[in-house]
Amino acid sequence: MAEIIQSFEFKQCISILKSTGRKARSLRDLRNVIAVVSVECIFHHTYQYFLKGHILEYTNDFAQWAGESLEERALSEQLSNIDPYDFRNIDDLRSKLLDVIDDYLKEFPKPRETIPGNEFFFNETMTLIFPVGIRARNLAEFLTAIKYIDAGSIYYHFYEARIRLGKGIDDFSRWIEDVFGKKELVERIRAIDPFMYTIKRIRAHIVESIEDEVRKDMEVIDRCLTGM
Amino acid sequence: MFDRYVGISPKGDLLLLQLLAAKLHNRSFLHINSTRAGGGVAEILQQMIPVLKELGIDVRWEVIEGDPVFFDITKKVHNSLQGNPEKITDKMWQYHYETNKKNAENLNLDADAVIIHDPQPAPLIEFKKRGLWIWRCHIDMSNPQMQVWNSLSRYIKKYDATIFSVAKFARAIPIDKFIITPSIDPVSEKNRELTDREIQETLDKFQIPLDKPIILQVSRFDRFKDPVGVVQAFRIIKKYNDCLLILAGSPAIDDPEGDIVLKEVKEYAANDPDICILLLPPFSDKDINALQRIATVILQKSVKEGFGLTVSEAMWKGKPVIGGAVGGIPLQIIHGVTGFLVNSIEGAAFRIRQLLNNPELAREMGEKAKEYVRNNFLITRQMRDYLCVWYFLGNKGRNILEL
Repeated sequence: MAEIIQSFEFKQCISILKSTGRKARSLRDLRNVIAVVSVECIFHHTYQYFLKGHILEYTNDFAQWAGESLEERALSEQLSNIDPYDFRNIDDLRSKLLDVIDDYLKEFPKPRETIPGNEFFFNETMTLIFPVGIRARNLAEFLTAIKYIDAGSIYYHFYEARIRLGKGIDDFSRWIEDVFGKKELVERIRAIDPFMYTIKRIRAHIVESIEDEVRKDMEVIDRCLTGM
Repeated sequence: MFDRYVGISPKGDLLLLQLLAAKLHNRSFLHINSTRAGGGVAEILQQMIPVLKELGIDVRWEVIEGDPVFFDITKKVHNSLQGNPEKITDKMWQYHYETNKKNAENLNLDADAVIIHDPQPAPLIEFKKRGLWIWRCHIDMSNPQMQVWNSLSRYIKKYDATIFSVAKFARAIPIDKFIITPSIDPVSEKNRELTDREIQETLDKFQIPLDKPIILQVSRFDRFKDPVGVVQAFRIIKKYNDCLLILAGSPAIDDPEGDIVLKEVKEYAANDPDICILLLPPFSDKDINALQRIATVILQKSVKEGFGLTVSEAMWKGKPVIGGAVGGIPLQIIHGVTGFLVNSIEGAAFRIRQLLNNPELAREMGEKAKEYVRNNFLITRQMRDYLCVWYFLGNKGRNILEL
C-alpha cells in the first residue's frame, strides 16, 4: 500500500482595519495610548507591519511614525530593534515598547509635536483566515504552489505562524520537517530573517531553497557513481 | 461580470469573495444613497451591484428622493463635515429628518444587511426594521465642524457600525469603526487595457506629439489641485529637460472659481507650445485612460485632497506618480517605492527631473505602483471588505474567524 503523505493545505488571511478612535500628536501621547490600547492594536502596529508587503525604513508602525513624523530618528532605531517574536505575549511586547519610549523621554523630555493631519492613528484589525484551495503532497508540488499563491498566503504561513507555533517556527519548515525530515532544508528556511526581507524576497528565498533540494533529489548520477 | 476580474484582481480576493458569498447566499443586502448617477459612490455601486448579484447575494440599491431644499441642506452638511463653516439650523435638521421619513414610507428597508452611504440618508436608521445597519462615510471628516457632526452623530450612534475611508477620517463614537479605502474598477472605461489604435485615436484627436517625454496632470481646474503650481514646476524642469506638459480636466461647474483658475493657468502657460491645456467634456474616460498610458510621469500635485483616487488610476497604468502629501495620497504613494510625495513646487520639479533622467527608476516605480494598486485599491477588494464587515458583525465578539 502506498505511503500516505500528510499534505500541505495552503491558507491565507486578510485583515479588516478598525479604528480605535485614539490618536497621538506627540511622543508622550503615543506612550500613554500604547499603555492602554487593546492587544489587537499593539499586534496590528507591530506584527502586522509585515503584511504591508513592503518594508520601509523601520520595522513597525510606531518606529516609522517616530522617525517620519516626529523626526526622532534615534528613538526610531531603538523601536525598530524590538523583535516582536522575542516576546511570550503582547503585553510583554507592550512593556518593552513603553520602556524604550520612557528611557528616551527621560533623556529628551520635550520632543516635538507632529503637524495636524500627521498624528498617529491607533487601529486594530479583525482577521479572516480561509483556505486557498491549493494542496501540496510533495516538494515539487509545494514548489509550484509557493510560486503561485498570493503574498497574503506567504504572510499567513511565514509570519502569522510564528505567533501560533512560537520559537521562530513557520508552517513551511514545520511541514518539511514533520513529513520529509529534511533537516538541512528546514534550517535553510528557518534562517531567513523575517525582519530583513519583503514577502516577495521571502518567497524568492523559499523557492530557491526548495529548488535546490528538488534538484538534489532528482540528480541520481552521484548515487549511481557511488554505487559502481 | 465576475469573470472579468479573473487574471486582474488578486486570486485570494476573488476566492474569498466567492467563499463569503457562499456563506451569505440569498441573504439580502441593501445599499442606499442619494444619487443614481454622478459621483464616486454611484460609480462604484453601478459596478458592484451586478457582481454581488451574480455571486448569489440578494443585493438591492435604493436611492432617496428629495427636493432642492433638501439637497441644499445636505450640501451644507457635507461641506461643514469637510471643515467649511456652515450654519445648519434646527429647522434644517428637521427638514432633513422629514424628507428621510417620507422616503422610509416608500422604500423597502427590509434586509439582512443595510449600508447607508453618506449623511443624506443617515436618518433612515430611525425606521430600521431589522438586520445589521452600517453607515458608510465617504467624506473627509478629519476636521469637521463639530456642531454639525454632533447633530448628525445622534443618528450615527444608532447604527451597528460605521465605515470610513481613512483612519484619520474616523470619529470617536462608541460603535465599531471599520476602515475601508475606496477603489478603482480595473475593467471600467477609465482603467481597462486599451489597444494601440484606441490610444492613437486620442493622440490624433488632441494632436499630441510623442517626440518628447510627457508630464500629465488630470484634474479639475481647481485651486486645491494646484494647476498653476504644476506649470511653475514645469518651467523649472524645462531649463534641464525638453518635455511636454498636459493639463487635462473639466472646468469645475459647481465651483464659481473654476473659470478664474483656468484663466490663471492659461496666463501662466502664456501660449507655450509645450504646454497643452485640454478641456475635456464629461464622459471622457477613454481619453483620460489613453493620456495616462502615454504619459512618462503623472502628477497629482494637490494641496488639499479627499482620498484622491486619480492617483490609483494613474498608478494602475504602471506610471510613476508624484503626488502632494495630503489627504489619502500618502496611503497610495509609498514615498520612494510606488511614487514620490512632495510638499512644494520645487519638490515636484526635482522629482520629475529625477524620473525623466532615470527611466529605469521610473519603470520600476511604475511596476511597483501597479502591483500596489492591484493588491490594495481594486473594486474586488472593496466588495470583499464589505462582505467581511457583514460577516464579522454577524459573528460579533470574535476578532479572528476561519472560513
